[in-house]
Amino acid sequence: MAEVGQQHPIKVYFLVWGLLFVFSIASYMVDYFEFKEHLRWFLIVVFMLLKAGFIVAVFMHMKWERPTLITAILVPPLVLLVLMYLLAFEADYAWASRIVYFGGEVDPIPLPPPTHAAVPH
Amino acid sequence: MATAEIPYQETAPLHHPKTWIGKYVFSQDHKVIAVQYGITAIAVGLVALFLSDLMRIQIAYPEFMDWFVEDYYYQAITMHGMIMVIYLLTAFLLGAFGNFTVPLMCGARDMVFPFVNMLSYWVYLISVIILLLGYIPGLGGPTGAGWTLYPPQTITEGTPGADWGIMTMLASLAVFIVAFTMGGLNYITTILQARTRGMSLMRMPLTVWGIFVATFLGLLAFPALFVSAIMMILDLKIGTSFFMPAIVSMGQTLAHDGGQPLLFQHLFWFFGHPEVYIVALPAFGVVSDLISVHARKNIFGYRLMVWALVFIGILSFIVWAHHMFVAGMHPYFGFFFATTTLIIAVPTAIKVYNWVLTLWKANIKLTVPMLYALSFVLTFIMGGITGLFLGNVIIDVPLSDTYFVVAHFHMVMGVSPILAIFGGIYHWYPKLTGRMLNDTIGKWHFWITFLGTYIIYFPMHYLGFIGVPRRYYENFDSSFYPASAQLLNEVITWTALFVGVAQLLYIGNLVHSYFYGKPAGDNPWGANSLEWCTPDTPPSHGNWGDKLPTVHRWAYDYSVPGSDKDFIPQTVPQGQSS
Amino acid sequence: MAEAAQTNQGPLTTIVDDWSSDVTTFKAVPWGKAMMWIFLLSDTFIFTSFLVSYMAVRMTQTDAWPYPSEVFSLEAFGTPVPLLLIAIMTFILITSSGTMAMAVNMGYRKRKVAVFWLMFATAMLGASFVGMQAFEWTKLITGEGVKAWQNPMGAPQFGSFFFMITGFHGLHVSAGVAYLLIVAIRVLRGKYDNTSFEIVEITGLYWHFVDLVWVFIFAFFYLW
Repeated sequence: MAEVGQQHPIKVYFLVWGLLFVFSIASYMVDYFEFKEHLRWFLIVVFMLLKAGFIVAVFMHMKWERPTLITAILVPPLVLLVLMYLLAFEADYAWASRIVYFGGEVDPIPLPPPTHAAVPH
Repeated sequence: MATAEIPYQETAPLHHPKTWIGKYVFSQDHKVIAVQYGITAIAVGLVALFLSDLMRIQIAYPEFMDWFVEDYYYQAITMHGMIMVIYLLTAFLLGAFGNFTVPLMCGARDMVFPFVNMLSYWVYLISVIILLLGYIPGLGGPTGAGWTLYPPQTITEGTPGADWGIMTMLASLAVFIVAFTMGGLNYITTILQARTRGMSLMRMPLTVWGIFVATFLGLLAFPALFVSAIMMILDLKIGTSFFMPAIVSMGQTLAHDGGQPLLFQHLFWFFGHPEVYIVALPAFGVVSDLISVHARKNIFGYRLMVWALVFIGILSFIVWAHHMFVAGMHPYFGFFFATTTLIIAVPTAIKVYNWVLTLWKANIKLTVPMLYALSFVLTFIMGGITGLFLGNVIIDVPLSDTYFVVAHFHMVMGVSPILAIFGGIYHWYPKLTGRMLNDTIGKWHFWITFLGTYIIYFPMHYLGFIGVPRRYYENFDSSFYPASAQLLNEVITWTALFVGVAQLLYIGNLVHSYFYGKPAGDNPWGANSLEWCTPDTPPSHGNWGDKLPTVHRWAYDYSVPGSDKDFIPQTVPQGQSS
Repeated sequence: MAEAAQTNQGPLTTIVDDWSSDVTTFKAVPWGKAMMWIFLLSDTFIFTSFLVSYMAVRMTQTDAWPYPSEVFSLEAFGTPVPLLLIAIMTFILITSSGTMAMAVNMGYRKRKVAVFWLMFATAMLGASFVGMQAFEWTKLITGEGVKAWQNPMGAPQFGSFFFMITGFHGLHVSAGVAYLLIVAIRVLRGKYDNTSFEIVEITGLYWHFVDLVWVFIFAFFYLW
C-alpha cells in the first residue's frame, strides 16, 4: 500500500505556509488601508480564493490526486454558484420592494452627480 | 493492480457478533439494518396513513367527528406529509433498499463502515421518536404549519404546535439528516470503492444506479434543510430574525424585524426539489430491474437510462423555485425555473420510453412484482404529465394550492414510489427470507391499491380545476364550486378508507409468508444480478463465503439467442451461456 | 502504476478510465479517505448554505449594517487596531494547518512520536482558537451589547449571523480538536502500526477543511 501515501518534500509545505501568511496579511491590509467598494471586494475575493486554492491543492493534497477525485469533489459545488447567483439577483429585487413599499432607514439612493454645473449658461 | 486491491475485502475481518442482541438488534450486518430500517419506516408510515384517513373523513363528512378540530386537521396534514416524504419514502428507499441491495448487487461483503451504518439506523430511530414526541399530550401537539414549514406562520402564535411541535419537528429533521449522512456516505463509498472484480459502474444494475444518484443528491441537498432548520430554531427560541420580518401577530407587534421569509422557501426547496428525486430515482431503478427481469428481456437503452438518472440528478438542483411561483419571488425567476423544469421532462420521458420499449415484444410474466412495476409506469406517466401543467407558470398560478397539486404530487411522488416499494419488497423478499410471498393475497392487494389509487386521485384533478382549495379544514358549504365536489369527496374518502385498510393485506402477507410461505430456492425469478448468486439463501453474514464473485457481463442478459436458458447470471463468463 | 497512468495520458482519459473500471473508482484511495472527502463535500454545502443565507439577508437589509472593521477592533498600545484579534486567530489557524500538514508527512514516514507531537500542537492551536473566539464573543456581548437578537449598531441580523456562523465553525473546530487528540493518542499507542497511517491524512483533511471554511468566513464576514 506504499503508493497510497501522499509523500512530498517538506519544503513545499513551508512554502505554502509562508504564502498563506502573506495572503492573510495582504487581505488584512485591504481592510487596514480601507479600500472601498469594488476594489475592496475584488481584492478580498482574490486573496480568499488564492488561500483556499493553496490549502486545498497542497495541504489537502488535491494537487497530487488523480483527476477523477479532483473533478468529483470540485464540480458538484458549482450548483451552489447557481443558488448564490440567483439569491443575490433576487436580493436586489427584495431590497427595492422593501424600500418602495415600507420605506426604511437607509441612506437615500445615491443620485447621479448633478449635471447642470457642466452645462454652459 | 486491479487484482491487488480486492484482497482487502476478501480477507478483511468481519465483526461477528456472539450474542443474540449483537446479531439482531445492534447488528452491523447490512441486511439486518435494512430490515430494521424497513420495519421502522413501515410502522411510522402506518401512522401517516391513519392520519390521512382521518383527514379524508373530515373532508367528506365535516360534522362526523366533533373532536377532530381544526388544529388536529392541520397537524395531521403536516405530520402526514413529513412522515411520508422523509421518514417513510426516503428512509425506506435508501435505508432499506439501499442497505439491502448495494452490497449484494455490487458484490461487497458489507458496507465499507458497518459500525457507522449501524449508527445510522439507531440515529434514524431516534429521529422518528423525536418526531412522535410532538404528540405528547398537554404540550400543544405537533406543528400544524404544513409540511413545508413556511415561516413566519410556522412559528407565530395561532399556528398549532408553534411552540413545542415545531421544535420536535425541526430537531427530528436535523437528527434525521445526521442519520442519513452516516448511511449515505456508506452507500456512496461502497458503490464507488468496494465493488467486486469485473463490476464496472456500467455493469451495475439500475437499482444501484438509482440509489447511488439519489444518495448523492441527498448528501448535497439535506444540508440546505439542516441549515434552515437551525435558523428556524434560532428564530423561535433565541429570537433572531433570519426569516421573520417585522410582523403584527394577533394585534401585537413582534420583536422580530428585517428577516427574509423567502430565504426559507429558497433553502427549503433547494433541498425539497432534489428530495423529490431522492424518492423517485431509486424507484426508477427498482422498476427498471423489475421490468427487465419479469419481461425476460434486457432493459432497453441501458446507458441512456444511466445518463438520464445522472442528468435528472444534476437538473434537480436548478429547478427548485418552481415550487414558489406564487411566493412573490423575483418575477424573472418564473421564466428561468419553468424552462429548467420542462427540460427535466426530456430525461424522464427517455426513461418512460425505455421502459415501454423494454416491454415491446417481451416475454412478459405478469407476476406480482411485474404488476407493481407496470402500475408504477402508468402512475408515473399520469403524475408526470400533470407536472408539465404545473411547471408552466401561467397554468400553475391558477392551479396553485388546489387539489390539482395534491393529485399531481401524490401520483408522481406518493403513489409511484410506494408501488415501486411494494414491487421491490415482493421481488427481494425471497432472497431476504428464503420464502415466497403469497401470490393470491399479493394480487388482491395489488388490484385494490392500484385501482383505488386512481379512484382516489383521478377525481382530485377535477376538483382542482373547479377550484377546490387544498388544506382547507372544511369546505362543504362553499358556494364557489358545484355540489358534485361533495359527492366526489365522499367517493374519495370511502375509497381511501378501503385502500388504507387493504394495506393490512400486504403486511399480513409479509408476516404470514415469513413462517408459512413456500420455499423460494436461490433464484426464484430467474434473475441475473449478483444478489441471486449468493451461496446461501438468505445470504449469510459476509454474503459471499470465502471468495467474492467475479462479474463478467451486465445484469440484463435475458433471452439471449442461442443460450439454453433465458437468463445468464452476471457471474457467467462471456461466451458461455450458463 | 497510478503515477504512470497519470503521466502517459491526458486527464480526461484518466477520468473516463477510472469511472469505467471495476472495483474502485478513486484509484489508490482508501475507503476512509474517500468517505471523508465526500463528507467534506456535504459539509461544504452546509457552510455555503449558511453563507448564502447571510448574503441574502444582508443584501435585503434596509437597516444599517455595522462596519465589521470597527466592531472587531482591539485596543493595542493605546490605539484601536482594526481586526487585531481576528488577524491573530487567522494566523493561529493557518499555523495549525501547517503543523497538521507536517504531521501527515511524518505519518507517512512512520515517525510516530513526531506525528503525536505535531498533532498535539495542532490540537492545542485549535483549542486556543476556540478560546479566543470565546473571548471575542464575550467582548461583543458585554462590550458592544450585540446579542443574537439585537444589535445597537443597526441590523439585528449582524449579531444573529455572526454568532450562528462562527459558532457553527467553532463547533467544527472543537470537534476537530477532540478528533485530533484521539487519533494522536492512538497513533502513539501503536494502534495504526499495521496500516500506512492514512488515518492521519484523513484527520488532516478534516482539519484543513475547518481552516478552509475560516478563510471564507474571514473574507465574507470580517472584511466585506
